[in-house]
Amino acid sequence: MRAIRLHNVKKIFNNEVILDDVNLMIPSGEFFALLGPSGSGKTTLLRLIAGFESVDSGSIFLGKKDITNVPINERRVNTVFQNYALFPHFNVFDNVAYGLKIRKVKKDIIEQKVVQILKKVHLEKHIYKSIDQLSGGQQQRVALARAVINEPEVLLLDEPLAALDLKLREKMLVELIELQEVLKTTFVYVTHDQFEALTVADRMAIMSYEGHVEQVGTPEEIYEFPKTSFVAKFVGSTNIFKGNLRIEGDISYVEVKDIGKLEVVAQKNREWVCNGCKVLMSLRPEKIEITKKKLEGFSNCLTGVVESIVYHGRSTQYHVKLKNGFSVHVFEQNEEHFPQEDIDYDDNVYMYWQKENVVLLEK
Amino acid sequence: MKMGISKRITPYLLPIFVGIVYLLLYTPIFVLILFSFNKNPISYRWDGFSLCWYKELFASVEILAALKNSLIVAFSSVLLSVVMGLFYVFFGASSFLNRLIVFFYGSLIVPEIVLAVGLLSFFTFFSISLGLTTLIVGHTLLGLGYVVPIIRARFLEMDYRLIEASFDLGATEKQTFFKIVVPLLYPAIISSALLVMIVSLDDFLISFFCSGAATLTLPMYIFSVIRSGATPVVNALSTMLLVISSLLILILTSLKMKTRIF
Amino acid sequence: MKNNSVHYEATKNGAFFMAVPAVLWKLLFLYVPLFFIMLISFSKSFDFAFFKNVTLENYKSLFSLSYFRVIGRSLLLAFLNAFFCLLIAYPIAYFLALKVRRFKNLLLFLLALPFWTNFLVQVYAWFFILDHKGLLNTALLKMGIISQPLHILNTSAAIYIVMLFCYLPFMVMPIYSSLLKIDKFVLEASFDLGANSLQTLSHVTIPLSASGIMTGFFLVLIPSFGEFVIPALLGGGKVMYVGSMITYFFLETKNPFLGAAFTCLSGFVLILFALLIYVIFKKLFK
Repeated sequence: MRAIRLHNVKKIFNNEVILDDVNLMIPSGEFFALLGPSGSGKTTLLRLIAGFESVDSGSIFLGKKDITNVPINERRVNTVFQNYALFPHFNVFDNVAYGLKIRKVKKDIIEQKVVQILKKVHLEKHIYKSIDQLSGGQQQRVALARAVINEPEVLLLDEPLAALDLKLREKMLVELIELQEVLKTTFVYVTHDQFEALTVADRMAIMSYEGHVEQVGTPEEIYEFPKTSFVAKFVGSTNIFKGNLRIEGDISYVEVKDIGKLEVVAQKNREWVCNGCKVLMSLRPEKIEITKKKLEGFSNCLTGVVESIVYHGRSTQYHVKLKNGFSVHVFEQNEEHFPQEDIDYDDNVYMYWQKENVVLLEK
Repeated sequence: MKMGISKRITPYLLPIFVGIVYLLLYTPIFVLILFSFNKNPISYRWDGFSLCWYKELFASVEILAALKNSLIVAFSSVLLSVVMGLFYVFFGASSFLNRLIVFFYGSLIVPEIVLAVGLLSFFTFFSISLGLTTLIVGHTLLGLGYVVPIIRARFLEMDYRLIEASFDLGATEKQTFFKIVVPLLYPAIISSALLVMIVSLDDFLISFFCSGAATLTLPMYIFSVIRSGATPVVNALSTMLLVISSLLILILTSLKMKTRIF
Repeated sequence: MKNNSVHYEATKNGAFFMAVPAVLWKLLFLYVPLFFIMLISFSKSFDFAFFKNVTLENYKSLFSLSYFRVIGRSLLLAFLNAFFCLLIAYPIAYFLALKVRRFKNLLLFLLALPFWTNFLVQVYAWFFILDHKGLLNTALLKMGIISQPLHILNTSAAIYIVMLFCYLPFMVMPIYSSLLKIDKFVLEASFDLGANSLQTLSHVTIPLSASGIMTGFFLVLIPSFGEFVIPALLGGGKVMYVGSMITYFFLETKNPFLGAAFTCLSGFVLILFALLIYVIFKKLFK
């Protein structure tokens, strides 16, 4: 069951194409994230769904209904704004009750519902406070309550945590996930922060420029099995090797210039997977084992010289320069207080990884 | 040393200059107020303190009639121009009407006497009899020229996402207007209303041309009395007007500045 | 937040029509009357058969020296008034914007007050000063500076003096606003680079307040041209200015056609003159 379907949606602003024939299906009842860099058009897409902008061509469906030409206030969709957009002349109660008052719901029912929803977002003690007395995190929760109380078919969230500090953001992410699980409403969450997206999403879409949808899938699918180099590079970081794919019976490998043969597993159901095809190889830094010792049991190995070490507390990142000048990025988790090995600048190291941990991408 | 003296004087030149100008600005007014208490009907010679002119002022049927007319016209003009102006600013914002904003600066650019004769010709041509109604029409026109720029400026400063949020939550344009926009524009509405009130009460030219023979507003009364020979009743009237204007301005400026004047 | 125009998607339920009355009002009572005036100036009768009776007679009869003198007089008054207002207003605006801290609001209030009180009251108040038995003459006589009272009222001197003080706030306000916007650090930079007060004033402050000067100048120039009340009350009524001329045509001779033509002619001259001033300003400040 899908909650939202965008069909060939096109949007142009000032002669600039923001969204170019976007087709997207957002499943119902899930926490869906739209992840992309600034300028990818994800916020515009959200605003089109809400109705704040109208499409230049294409259509938008909410469930089975075509809402392309339905005005904002008649769509069963509510938005949580990035800057909260709380009504400054109303207190918390009146802000949250606004949608219900508009629909002329009875006073006692309104009161009941407002108290109920404020309890869900842990604001029941602030019910009659004025907006300027609240902190950023509290305001954000009022915005959330105000939207959710109307029981929309879809809740749109436009980078709602952008203004909060890190600790608060992490806390709110968890609260959002819990809220969605309780309400079971479809949440569409727009962000440029992959950490947020990976944390909250049941499924996500990665958008590149002009609204182009690169891939849709669960966070795991997106991270471990990116379909394009954009996704591989945008979500997390990766090492990309360019080369020619050689398939010889059961064994496949990629021939990389000046480096050699790197063994891979080729999924043969893709048309660009053929003997002699040019491919890209994505190898995530955490999949590589870096050591000065010789190890057995790995399908692939490269040697190089350590050119940079950055300590990040939980992890250490290395940049290792290969013979041909190419720099490989390696990520090691600091599992022990006293690491067994001491890797330093200019050390010669081995990098090992398994062929199953490599993803082939179309060039 | 010469340098020393000029260095000592120059910082004071400007304040002194400003002081003199302010003095010149206010001396006529003070004299006017002073002589409103003058016992002597032939002004310019101080004969003693008296409130007789004020008594005459409040007893004068003519003046009260003129005052009544001025107030009726002023309140009507304020009501009409503020309501129409508000409606235009908000409901016009979402359509091409928004681009017609330059329209509204017309009455500020054209000299008032041209507006006045234009209206007169217009009314005469359509055989519309001149009176309070035509006055209200003219004053409302002036009022729109102030209301629209002021309210529009504040409207543009408003967070437009509040309007979007209101729509998002299910409100129609009318509901958004009354529940969100108007409360948030309150200061602008009040200050433009006060401004139009003052402009209307003050206005002479349009009143002079468009009120016809029978109707007199306060400024017109003052004008005719000055022309034909004034008694200090006019002083008393002027003083009263000064006091009322000061109060209105006080309210206006304290709204604008939100700080104390002193 | 885009701020030059608010654009939001309408909810499409015809509320758009609520915006129309204001526009109609302006159209009907400002632009149509102006158009009317132009039409009437080319006709001799007040009926719908305008286009049959198009005539230039009205304009022809205005092409005489006496009428041009009237327009010229008003033009001179407008220009000189704006000029003197500028000379006096600039130091005041400068003082209020850059030199005062504590009593700024009070002084601004005091400046605005006469401006908002009834115009006629202000004019009338000046009678008490300028009359030959008024304050000025009494003071000058007492101080022995003159032996005979000066005849100021009912001369153009009175007109110029009162115009100056009545229009002063119109000039001060825009200049004050634009001076406020100047970054004080820019002025400090000027001193730091070696300029003295006068140089800073002419090279930095005045150019930076150019827009305020221009606004103020036109804010005074345009209305001064059409000013009726002050010349009528203080000039003795013998000398005609554009305002009194138009009033004369419309209300005394009941000849709206000549009046309209004269209005159009004066308006045209004013526009040309204003454009000229505008061009000069642009050249000065570029």
